[in-house]
Amino acid sequence: MLLLQLVINGLQLGAIYALTAVGFSLIFGATKIFHVAHGAAFTIAAYLFWWTNTVLGLLWPLAAGLAVIAAVVFGLCMERFIYRPIQRHEGAFFTVFIAAFGVQIIVQNLIGTVFGRGFVSVTTPLSHSVQVLPGLFVAPVAALAIVVAVIGFTALTYYLSRTHTGMAMRALSENPDLIRVFGLDPGRVAQYAFAIGSAIVVPGAIFTAMTAGLNPAVGAHVMLISLAATIVGGIGSLRGAAYGGLLLGLAENLALWRLDPQWSEAVTFVVLFLFIIFRPAGFFGRPHAAK
Amino acid sequence: MWAYVINLAVLISINAILAVTLNFILGYAGIFSIAHALFFGVGAYTATFFAMNFGASFLLATAAGMGLAALISLALALPALRVRGEYFVAASLGLQMLAITVFTEWKSVTGGIGGLTNIPPARLFGFAVTQPEHFLLLALACLALIILVIRALVRSSFGRSLKAIRDDETAAWTYGKNVAIIKTTAVVVSSALAAVAGALYAFYMSFINVESFVLDTSIQLMAMVIIGGTATLLGPVIGTVLILLLPAGLSYLPYLPVTEIGSIQQIVYGAAMVVLMIYRPGGLWGFQDSPRTPKGGAT
Amino acid sequence: MRRLRLLALLAAMQWGVATASAQDSIKIGADLPMSGPNAEYGELFGAAANLAVEHANADKMLSRKLSIQFEDSQATPQQGVVAMNKLVNVEKVPFVLSAFTGVSKAIAPVGDRAKVVSVNGGGIGPDLAELGEYFWNVIPLVNLEIRVMAPYLVQERGFKKIALIYVDDPAGEAIQKELKENVPKAGGQMVAELQVPRNAQQFTSIAAKVREAGPDLVFIASFGAQQAQIVKQLRDNGVTQQLASYSAFSSPTVTQLPEAKGALFPTQSVDWQAAGMSERVAKDWKAKTGKEPNAYVANYYNAVMVFVHLAQALEKSSQPITGENLLKQRKANGSFDLVGGKMEFLPNGSVSMPIQINEIDGGAGKMVKGGTMAN
Repeated sequence: MLLLQLVINGLQLGAIYALTAVGFSLIFGATKIFHVAHGAAFTIAAYLFWWTNTVLGLLWPLAAGLAVIAAVVFGLCMERFIYRPIQRHEGAFFTVFIAAFGVQIIVQNLIGTVFGRGFVSVTTPLSHSVQVLPGLFVAPVAALAIVVAVIGFTALTYYLSRTHTGMAMRALSENPDLIRVFGLDPGRVAQYAFAIGSAIVVPGAIFTAMTAGLNPAVGAHVMLISLAATIVGGIGSLRGAAYGGLLLGLAENLALWRLDPQWSEAVTFVVLFLFIIFRPAGFFGRPHAAK
Repeated sequence: MWAYVINLAVLISINAILAVTLNFILGYAGIFSIAHALFFGVGAYTATFFAMNFGASFLLATAAGMGLAALISLALALPALRVRGEYFVAASLGLQMLAITVFTEWKSVTGGIGGLTNIPPARLFGFAVTQPEHFLLLALACLALIILVIRALVRSSFGRSLKAIRDDETAAWTYGKNVAIIKTTAVVVSSALAAVAGALYAFYMSFINVESFVLDTSIQLMAMVIIGGTATLLGPVIGTVLILLLPAGLSYLPYLPVTEIGSIQQIVYGAAMVVLMIYRPGGLWGFQDSPRTPKGGAT
Repeated sequence: MRRLRLLALLAAMQWGVATASAQDSIKIGADLPMSGPNAEYGELFGAAANLAVEHANADKMLSRKLSIQFEDSQATPQQGVVAMNKLVNVEKVPFVLSAFTGVSKAIAPVGDRAKVVSVNGGGIGPDLAELGEYFWNVIPLVNLEIRVMAPYLVQERGFKKIALIYVDDPAGEAIQKELKENVPKAGGQMVAELQVPRNAQQFTSIAAKVREAGPDLVFIASFGAQQAQIVKQLRDNGVTQQLASYSAFSSPTVTQLPEAKGALFPTQSVDWQAAGMSERVAKDWKAKTGKEPNAYVANYYNAVMVFVHLAQALEKSSQPITGENLLKQRKANGSFDLVGGKMEFLPNGSVSMPIQINEIDGGAGKMVKGGTMAN
């Protein structure tokens, strides 16, 4: 029964990782920007939710709504004020990466200064688990996280394949100039990518606030995992990023079956390292992604 | 007061060594590694192990550190050969995080979070370096030596090949440059020299633990290189001085709470990184444009 | 040129230091966490120390005013050493307050070499008694706590099977070692020993492993925010067994946690009603903070008072207040009247005090077993 319990825990964690990874992959896939500050969107959304819900006492739908707005605004600002100016110059990978990193450092420390470096969480009856089978405990929030992840991903896939802006986003990653031919503005499409990519982290952020709690470094941690998930799943594939996130969440928990807890985080990075050496394209990545 | 300045100067020298060696692969070779703190740590732990078990000879302990760092750097060189850009960053990240877990868990060798205390003072030519002033001389000497070595390498044909590879790997390859050997050598040299900083640090503090070798350290080193200026010899040193003097400078602003100085330091260099990337990607001391995008690689 | 000017400016800021204001006060140092996740402890310890300074100055116990120079250790060994170096080399204090096992172990060699006394009032690792002549402890170390807890839990309360969750740092490991030795001795059995990283926050799977082990009691050896998280997530995930810990549970983050109700934890016996010093400290502390004082308050108050008493004696015999002299004085007379009664230093610089066992009841905790001396 322990194994099954670890699988359920892994799925819950994996759902959160999957959502964030998909956001990152969407942005990278559409705009080719390595948005390392993605974790900062997570941190901002999470803390805003906590603050408005727990400290100010707003109802959770309102708090969640505010968190979404904040994440989206953050993503858009990054695109407009940081990435676009850099890309006007020449937009080397290096420059974009460093700038994003710089923003992530700033956000992490600002949050620490404003909200404290200790750790906070949102108390809710949802995190209290129920025994569904002898020895198997599932918390409502776990089930919720998995359901939301599935819905989110399905909705996103539908959007990308059926709507105009969605299709434009997919086209953007292949050939930006062709988009102009069709009368669309690549800048606009990029903004949509950033907006959606950033918004999709909010459910994960809220669930993390409810279960494990937050500290200012939580975004950086989530970012690392999203990065690993995107690569393991395959750059350019949203499906890959989602599965990658799920896989890493499972790996982190299943590792506890046989290993000591300290090694469970290391497992994630061993997996990442091995994939990069032996299969940089990941599970679903396009073949030319490797050198 | 004087003691405080000397202390700061030693730490600046040690970090400058790290920044200069990181710049060698980042600025000159275009290899974006976030794993540099790992080699700092390997150098420190190895030198300590040597000093506590075989005598505190500075030269021998440092050599041991350099040897082990060089060996381990092959693990970093491997992905460097196979992938570029964001993939390599992710691989170096994975290696760095793995190293942190090893440093924390391998308690018999590293002492885990408790660390290793009572490291004996370094012995150089039969003389124990206990006075901070003498240690500063040792650290500066090492820094100067390493800068000279890097300078010689950069100006040699090896250095030219390195820059060629950075600018356009495929073209370099078609010219007959053995890309694999050159890149691997660069990584090995950079890591081995970084280990010297580790040995210095261990002997100076008489105490080391995993907290000095974490991801934040690697990031701070990267900030020193970026802000100071990549692909120049002096740039990383400038960056180091600026970033390390920042907390001291900040502590004199009367309205800043002492508890926030660490955060503000990070915010300042985070902001500096962003602003520089938009307006002056070559860094404060560097050229106007950034190192050119490595072409012919991933994505 | 611009760059050089920037450098020069920064160097000048360095140089233009206000060398510590005219030395008209006696300064001691404090190497406590003032920022970072454990800043709440630094605040608590610092406030208690400051109260002692206030009393010492009000009662004019020394020839000059006493003051404390606080430096930030962030509760990490590395930062602690940096702060200690500053206190010892720049501020040149003869006496430093310390906290946290990991930090203390790291700074002890620095103090030892410089002949500066460090006193710990919060860390509990038994190794702290072995850190050299210049490292003293005014808190009974955890081996004493466990030697009282283990027989109580196993024999008096009947919890034979114990699962341990301990943090991966010197304090956690010290507790694990002590439990491993003392629980079997008392007739019990350790059914699980789960080590968690210091920054871990997810314990649902740890809870699963605990359930799997089927214990009668879960012992938690962590500190700060993490221990509260462990308690909450254990309860959230179906662990209904009795909880217990060491003195760190006296922290308000745990005592105020609804999920922690009923947990058992030891502290040193302090009778806050005792007339004289204890009563005065309790009253002033309540007035200042609105809360009841706990054992940590007593310890850091006492640590400062130890310095004051020793310094008084040195002043009387016209000796300079240096670390070396403080040590000599303590060896000559190591018995002090402090909060909690008479405190006597053992030759290794630590103290032995009666330990009481408390239960969390939503308030300040109620005592369930009176002061026992560890055997």
